[in-house]
Amino acid sequence: MTLYHYLAVSAALFCIGIFGALTRRNVIGILMGIELMFNAANINLAAFNRFLHPNAVVGQSVSLFIITVAAAEVVVGLALVLAIYRNIQTIYAEDYNLLKG
Amino acid sequence: MEQFAFYVFAGVTLLAALGVVLLRNVLHAALMLGLCLLGVAGIFAQLGADFLFASQILIYVGGIAVLILFVVLLAGRASELITRQTNKLWPPAAFVCGVTFVFLLRYYRSFNGTSASSAPKPTTFALGKLLLGDLALPFELISLILLAALAGAIVFSRTEHDEEERKA
Repeated sequence: MTLYHYLAVSAALFCIGIFGALTRRNVIGILMGIELMFNAANINLAAFNRFLHPNAVVGQSVSLFIITVAAAEVVVGLALVLAIYRNIQTIYAEDYNLLKG
Repeated sequence: MEQFAFYVFAGVTLLAALGVVLLRNVLHAALMLGLCLLGVAGIFAQLGADFLFASQILIYVGGIAVLILFVVLLAGRASELITRQTNKLWPPAAFVCGVTFVFLLRYYRSFNGTSASSAPKPTTFALGKLLLGDLALPFELISLILLAALAGAIVFSRTEHDEEERKA
């Protein structure tokens, strides 16, 4: 297995994630697409770490930071989604138009 | 054997990711997300990143996927199963994603011959030394971010009903 194989998987995962984040109407679906993109970035970092700098672990530590920030992001995001759902009873992104003048 | 495992994990990851994006039922999509994250954990294991493998399963599969499942169950309605789940602009979005994918692959082609020079070593000890040595400042900052996220989640999920009870 060469580095190219891992990068190809990560690129495919990233593009699937973009597609989900762009096309889902459901806010939770958008969040899931963003999670896929985070994971693609993590695969990239771990793969570059393994193949180009096998004796260092800096890439993996950056991945750890990304995982932590993703966890924080998803916690706040889902709390926001629930708060909005309690107020306007919808989870579709196009219905979130309270700020429309 | 290594190739077989790689293709299995990559196939599981990508098929599950397609399921996350395309399935109409959000509950099924959230379950697929858990499967996809497990596949990514397998890819980490293939890359010799044992600590990342463990934290991927603990945090992503055990934490984030379960949290998303909870919210899907709390904030869903039965009518979602019949209404359209993608917006009208999906063809241009698919085009953008396809073009991005093709160009990423072209860019990555220079790494085609790069293979691993040595067998993977356990990384936990080195990661611990790095996180408490050179990366001590980001490590502390990330704990601050987690604390802020904790406080933010509590603030946002509190209802007015709770506040009235507190005043009474």
